Amino acid sequence: MSADAREDLGYVRDVVRRAERRAMPRAILWVWAAISVAGFAIIDVAPERAGLYWLVAGVAGFLLSAWIGARRARAIGQESEETGRRHMLHWAGMGVAIFLLSFGAEGWGSTPEASSHAILLMVALSYWLAGVHMVPALKWMGVVAAAVYVAVALLEGFPYPWTAAGIVIAMGLVVASLAGGTAGDES
Amino acid sequence: MTKARRPRAGEVREPLSRIDRLLEHRVRLAIAVLLSRWDRLSFSRLRELTGETDGSLGAHMRRMEETGYVSVDKEFRDRKPVTWYALAPAGRRALDAHLRALEDLIGPG
Repeated sequence: MSADAREDLGYVRDVVRRAERRAMPRAILWVWAAISVAGFAIIDVAPERAGLYWLVAGVAGFLLSAWIGARRARAIGQESEETGRRHMLHWAGMGVAIFLLSFGAEGWGSTPEASSHAILLMVALSYWLAGVHMVPALKWMGVVAAAVYVAVALLEGFPYPWTAAGIVIAMGLVVASLAGGTAGDES
Repeated sequence: MTKARRPRAGEVREPLSRIDRLLEHRVRLAIAVLLSRWDRLSFSRLRELTGETDGSLGAHMRRMEETGYVSVDKEFRDRKPVTWYALAPAGRRALDAHLRALEDLIGPG
């Protein structure tokens, strides 16, 4: 291959890499930070309402995130139905798995506490996989959520473990938004 | 160690004849590759990604549009015109053929 051809293909590769630089709109991460703070705290203060809260807030957050994502794609001028679909399938898959777990938990004799632990681990895994396959900054959110899972299991007797967990996860999301998110009109 | 075999003239000429003249230019090739991976990109996004000037990118896009490789869609956002480009079926076919010719040219050796 001639030097010119190599240089040309290198240029094409660089252009595609620039376009592929994946990030998530900050607003989506902030939405989930807010949902998480309230959603985890509710497990401590009104556990009987946690399921309903997550069902409503989860669906609303999902729809809002999809809207923000589509708006951002339009704003930066780079639209891909396939990318949108991949994100939706990933997070919808997590949502359905959490719903099924909560739904079946009583039947298996699982306590709300044990179900919450399992859900937290599932959330950690979802963030990790989203980081590996879609938005690199979310890998660290997977690590944070997994660390919170371990901490909640170890910190028995701590007065408000789930509230603390929600705050740490929300902080992780805010840090991820500052480290790897985009404001909206930038890429 | 075996020495790489020098390709015969015919082996080079055949894939060379399949190289798409329009996509030979690196900016147009990059644009076609981008449009094959994303549904549509705006003019300003393409300018940002390719690093071309308005005039130069406009000329490339016009050529690709005239050849039927890209389709154009114009709309207004916040009262500002936005031009969107998508890869047309002819452009996708041309890109596939061009990339296959490049692969054959580079070859396993």
